[in-house]
Parts: sequence; C-alpha cells; structure tokens
Amino acid sequence: MFGPKLAGLNEVSLVPPTLEHFKLHLVWELQPEVGRFLGPRFGEATPERQEERFKKTGEDQTQIQWTISYQEEPVGYTGIFGIDWVRRDGESGIVVGRHDLFGRGIASEAVRLRTDFAWRELRLHRVHNWIALANRGSRRANEKSGYQQMGVYRKSFFRSGEWYDEWLGEAFPHTFPDPR
Amino acid sequence: MALGGTIRGKATTLRLPVEADLDTYNRWMADMRVRRAHSVWHEPAMPATWKERLKETAKDKMGVLWSIDVAAGLVGLAAGSFWSVTESGFTLRHFLIDPDEWRKGHGFDEALALHRYLFDYLDLKRCGVEIRGDNAAGLRIADRLGYVEYARGHEVHYRDGVYVDEVQLFMTKETWHERWGATEREYAPLAADATR
Repeated sequence: MFGPKLAGLNEVSLVPPTLEHFKLHLVWELQPEVGRFLGPRFGEATPERQEERFKKTGEDQTQIQWTISYQEEPVGYTGIFGIDWVRRDGESGIVVGRHDLFGRGIASEAVRLRTDFAWRELRLHRVHNWIALANRGSRRANEKSGYQQMGVYRKSFFRSGEWYDEWLGEAFPHTFPDPR
Repeated sequence: MALGGTIRGKATTLRLPVEADLDTYNRWMADMRVRRAHSVWHEPAMPATWKERLKETAKDKMGVLWSIDVAAGLVGLAAGSFWSVTESGFTLRHFLIDPDEWRKGHGFDEALALHRYLFDYLDLKRCGVEIRGDNAAGLRIADRLGYVEYARGHEVHYRDGVYVDEVQLFMTKETWHERWGATEREYAPLAADATR
C-alpha cells in the first residue's frame, strides 16, 4: 500500500507514490553514485515492469511505501516492507536517488517521518534494517530516529577490491527520540 | 529448480516433495509445538490450497523445498532460497522435523547432508539461518555445523503471549571445508586417470 502525505521539516515530506515516481526509481538505482551501497545496477529496467511494480506495491498489504519529496520534487523513496501484522515487525529501507542532494539531511527527516508513522499510526512493535556499514549518512539518519545496532554482517559484498560489511539495526517505540 | 532432488544423509533423505506429503504438512503447521519452535512454512489450509502452494513453489526460481524421509516415512521438510545471481549464498528459511520424531538425531543428520550439498556440491560461499533464541535444539545443530552468530534481533517473534529474540547466524564455505571437508563429500574423488 501507499502511505499518506506526511509533511516534515526543511521542505522534506513523504507523499503517496505515483507511476511517474516509480519510473524514476530505475533512473536513480542504475547510477553508480546511488548503486554503491545498493543492488547490482542491472535488472528488468523497463517502464512496463515498473507499472507492474507500482500496481503490486499499491495492492500489497504487507508493505507501505512513500516517495520522498524535497522542495516539491520527488528525490527518492522509503518504506516499511514485509510487515508481519502478528509480530508487528517490518523491514525499513530508503533510497535518496538524487545524489546531487546527498548530505542535506533529507534521509534523516524522511526516516524520522517514517518511524514516527510506524509507531503512532501503524502501531508496530519493531522495525529493522540492513545498511552498509560504510554508508555513514544512511546509518546516522536511522540512528537519529532510534535505530540501534543489533549486529554486523562481515564481508557482505565486494566493491572495487574491498569487502563491505553491513550494519543491522532495529528500532522500537521506546527508542524513538520524538523531538515534538 | 524449486523442488529439491535427493540428498542422502546417514538416516534421513531429502527428496522431491509430492502431493501425497501435503496432508502431513498441513498437520505439522497446525501443531502448536511446531509453531512454538519456529515460523510455519504456510498456515493450515484446504487440500486444494496446499496443491496450489506446491505448484507455486515449483515455479519459484530462487527457492527450493525438500521433503525429508527416514525409513519409516515422511518426517520433515526443509525450504530455503538462494540469494541472487551476483551473491552465492543460501538462506535456510524452514527446517522442520515432526515433533513426534524430535530428539532422535534426524535434525542434525539432515542438516549435515543438506549443507554438504550446499557447500560441496553447489560450491556456495555462505549460508544463513535465523533461529528463535529459545530454540535450543536448532541452535545446537547450527553450532555443531559451524554457524556463527552475527546479530541478535530483540523481541522479534511473538507467541504464547510473549516476544522472543531471534539469533541470526551464517556459515562460510571455508568453515565447512575445515570442519567437514575431510569426511563429508557428495562424491568420492575422481580417479587419477578419470579425465585422461
């Protein structure tokens, strides 16, 4: 399913995705700057496949997804996936697709909005994720919203002659700092 | 690819799952002892639904399902999935022995045979598994095989009115070969003149 509009600070908001936003995912994910800590930079990258993904995501009751908007422009996406409604647990993820906007605090605000929604509206018990240990920006964005380390998976993937470890984090309602 | 073939252990055999197994699968998924120990492969359902699930599993390009036999018949199932075309690994997602057959050594025998297949035959780099923190038997099998813990999720699974932690473990091909390579092989070495 798609999440509702959540207005945040510094011109960042989460908005329900549109098909046009989904088509942008391909453009973002296939860039080397974005793909460093992400997937293999190839796939079924066709508009038709994105249309199918858009429809499936909208119908899927085990995930909630948003487009990240910055200054009224789509710049990435985030969500909580694989939600188990009995355990009240899900896996979160975020992609800031516009690498020219890295370092502006967009991910931090998006994660704060998403995590707040998980506790206040979805009544989840726990959210967890995997982040490349070297992706300090993403890790820090999640830590600011209460994610804490639960482990490190060594030598998870290989890029440019180096092994990359992954940081495993988890957050609970009681670890959310809630600045309001 | 998605319905597994024969892998022989000492007392157990992993083999192709067939429709005749599905009534027993359904019974296991409805057994609270199973549900307490680990998550179910699917919820209990009508026979037609189980047939549909088996058909879907057969089409799954990344997942594999095996039934497990001993001499007396069906005693369990194992299911897992390969990681991706660029990552050589396998996550064991379901590993179930009939509760009436617990504490007979079937679990370790079957796990050893399955990992021999994964490392010695498929030559995978890593295997992963997630086990509930209070599943002592599962954790003991993983430890004997050579798994190491890399993370512990807190309050992950909910049953019997309380949350329980989840232990995340992995095992490497190097560990397999150090610990089991000398004694566990899918095939005997080729004869010296076999390829001449």
